[in-house]
Amino acid sequence: MSDVTHILKAMEQGDPKAAGQLLPLVYDELRKLAACKMANEAPGQTLQPTALVHEAWLRLAGDEDQAWDSRAHFFGAAAEAMRRILIENARRKKALRHGAGQAPLDIQGLEIAAPAPDDQMLAIDEALNKLAALDKDKAELVKLRFFVGMTIEEAAGVLRISEATAKRWWVYARAWLYAEVRPGG
Amino acid sequence: MLGSMQSNQKPASSPSPEPRREEAIFDAVLALAAEQRAAYLNQACGEDTQLRRRVELLLRSHDHAGEFLDPALRAGTNRTLVVNPTAPSEKPGDIIGHYKIREKLGEGGCGVVYVAEQTEPVRRRVALKVIKLGMDTRSVIARFEAERQALAMMDHPNIARVLDAGATETGRPYFVMELVRGIKITDYCDQNHLNTSKRLELFVQVCHAVQHAHQKGIIHRDIKPSNILVTLHDGVPVPKVIDFGIAKATEGRLSDLTVYTELRQFIGTPAYMSPEQAEMSGLDIDTRSDIYSLGVLLYELLTGRTPFDAQELIQSGLDQMRRTIREKEPMRPSTRLSTMLVADLTAVAKRQSAEPPKLVHFIRGDLDWIVMKALEKDRMRRFESASGLALDVHRFLKNEPIEARPPSGLYRFQKWVRRNKTAFAAAAAVVAALVLGLGLSLYLFIQERHALRSERVALQRAVAAERRQAELREQAEKGLALEKHMREMVPITDKFTTAGRLLSQGQFDKAEEVMSEVPLTIPESSIIYNALGEIYGRRGEWPAAIRNFTRSITADPTNHLAYHCLAPLLVQTGDWGAYRKHCERVLSQFGETTDPAVAERMAKDCLMLPPPAASLVRFAKMADTAVAAGPTNSSWPYYEFVKGLAEYRLGHFASVLEWLQKVAAQEGVPARTAQADATLAMAEFQLGQTNAARATLAEGIKISETKLTPGRIDWNDSIIAEILLREAHELIMGAPMPTARGK
Repeated sequence: MSDVTHILKAMEQGDPKAAGQLLPLVYDELRKLAACKMANEAPGQTLQPTALVHEAWLRLAGDEDQAWDSRAHFFGAAAEAMRRILIENARRKKALRHGAGQAPLDIQGLEIAAPAPDDQMLAIDEALNKLAALDKDKAELVKLRFFVGMTIEEAAGVLRISEATAKRWWVYARAWLYAEVRPGG
Repeated sequence: MLGSMQSNQKPASSPSPEPRREEAIFDAVLALAAEQRAAYLNQACGEDTQLRRRVELLLRSHDHAGEFLDPALRAGTNRTLVVNPTAPSEKPGDIIGHYKIREKLGEGGCGVVYVAEQTEPVRRRVALKVIKLGMDTRSVIARFEAERQALAMMDHPNIARVLDAGATETGRPYFVMELVRGIKITDYCDQNHLNTSKRLELFVQVCHAVQHAHQKGIIHRDIKPSNILVTLHDGVPVPKVIDFGIAKATEGRLSDLTVYTELRQFIGTPAYMSPEQAEMSGLDIDTRSDIYSLGVLLYELLTGRTPFDAQELIQSGLDQMRRTIREKEPMRPSTRLSTMLVADLTAVAKRQSAEPPKLVHFIRGDLDWIVMKALEKDRMRRFESASGLALDVHRFLKNEPIEARPPSGLYRFQKWVRRNKTAFAAAAAVVAALVLGLGLSLYLFIQERHALRSERVALQRAVAAERRQAELREQAEKGLALEKHMREMVPITDKFTTAGRLLSQGQFDKAEEVMSEVPLTIPESSIIYNALGEIYGRRGEWPAAIRNFTRSITADPTNHLAYHCLAPLLVQTGDWGAYRKHCERVLSQFGETTDPAVAERMAKDCLMLPPPAASLVRFAKMADTAVAAGPTNSSWPYYEFVKGLAEYRLGHFASVLEWLQKVAAQEGVPARTAQADATLAMAEFQLGQTNAARATLAEGIKISETKLTPGRIDWNDSIIAEILLREAHELIMGAPMPTARGK
């Protein structure tokens, strides 16, 4: 049984320390998984975040026998981990383009399909942080949708809200972020 | 849960009132027709020009946002295909076609199975399986219809008949089958410690069933233990093969798949998949694929393992998985057994009521050859029919020479080639290049000839495109209807949102008040009631907690979490009548559940006090369902505990020691440890080990006093621990437990 399963179990049992341990593990696993996939794929191939996250889930937790809360915890952490990976990549590539000296380039640069061009990603992430400060749940929804590529239905499941609510939140959060990213647009 | 839980803990993160108003107006405007919007904005924003500017900016952004952030645009991400297994859209009481859904029977990789009641043309109970994957429902049903006649001709005591298929209102395909209440063949064998010969006899019956289907031209394509259920008829185990025709109807999803679903398609059964199925070309599957899967089944019945570990297959990634299934030679069953860890081998042998060395010896030789012949990568070399396989097993049982023999010289050479693949691949590549060159020129020649016919093809394509357009239009119209339904739901979902916000701000009374305006018939509200119940439960406000969990169950009678919290509260507040009724309800709702976690919780809840004799057996059966999940399950200690508790209630005191000694020694989940201590202490006392009983009881009480302090998130399990400890104290010390804890 993997460490992650232990942590998920501990979270279900109400161990407050467990939540803090989950993210680094999931983050690490996603990176490892991506790196290992890149090594096996032809050059120029890009990986899909959705597939990666779900595969990570299957690898770490196995599909069966996991309580729903575990799934929610896991996908919440995975969305955050995927966000960090994608933002790191965008920052790194940008630094390289601007010739900012020796950027710490990981040799197996993780070619994970980014949901948007680098500049836009960084801008969206910044706006998303602002949204999170105002309304954490909606920001969480955007993370699941934008960085992991979940559908409304799935994200609603993770956040334990109805699909109708998720859809309304999504429409609002999207307009809100758009207004942030393109002021005056 | 994640979101709402976080906001429960940090009320500061809930939105400030300003954006709330913006959002409310924004939502409302979007629901209005274009010509009504300005008037509404005037009224809603009044003098507040800043607010109005914000809302207008948001509305403009909404109009311009277009495909901004749209995850569906990401290349290769197909959004309809990923599963949301936790939110089945059907629930008990729903009507699907001629069928009324009753309780959930089980849930697998690709579907949820319910017990359903058929009313016409005959009244009977059936199993109804709703396919979860986002599939093209129409083609699934079309494929099923194509095979329907053949399926109808199947008539065999070991085959569960497939009766009907259709689409639910939400457009998911469903299948209706003869209702079989049984357990997985592998679990049945292990639980009953069936010896090897008995296992082989069951297996022969399965082969005959598969043979019958093959004779009618039906290939199963998904033979695996969970599709072979064993039921008892007058005490005689009868295996039944279920899901015939379903794999065929639901295949062909490969056309529009993402990497994930491609993998996903594997998930249920990679371990049982034949090499030709692993190719996933989908074109060339015949009865011999089923023979391979039967071989895997036999392997597992003999060794307790599949030839390739399912988990390892999945973890190796898709390509490696295919390669393994197509190329890697599995270990022979006897070799597999003798290379296991001693403890594992002992466990496997014990489940077959055998001594480890004898088991290995029994399997080595003939049985090895039979299994390996069924598992041949080249299907030409497998048994040519299921009855051929059955016959050989039968011969073995009667000590006659078997047909599957050690291979010939040529055969060994081929194996050798397979093992030294790289060297041969180089030589083969040279040959292939020559052949390919020739093939290419031939292809170009044929192309030219076909060019003449291509005009006609183009015309056909245009017609097909038009048809597709019509389909899309139809879908769009359906979408509009759904949209309308969602708008009508807005007032109610707003109440949920408001209640959720109030919860996160700590205004529980107000949240409860808002919820009182939502009809109790809306299942979604059970989430809010559970949250409220949890809060009151953690604070020790029991009547309020009871009230909310009761409402939660009314709103969603399948919400087992609510049952799990309510039961200890009823005992703790001394409401015995309500507790007894609760347990009866648990039996009717979950008595037949196959979900080990649900079975464990419900059985524990109802065994915390000695239950009436009539229901004791059924709760004990639920404990068996839990332990059927096996020691590899991450919740295993919980299952061990509930089994131990059931054994205690049944008066099997010696067995209690076996089940509970390990759990009681395990730290980490104090409530469970205390529960195990209490139960173990009682069993020790009943066996006359008074000193041990006292010591164990003291352990449990110590844990309860030091660790199970009020306000824990597992307050309900803590209560169960306390209740069991009280019972133990009275029994062992002959006096009520002093109430040291301030409750």
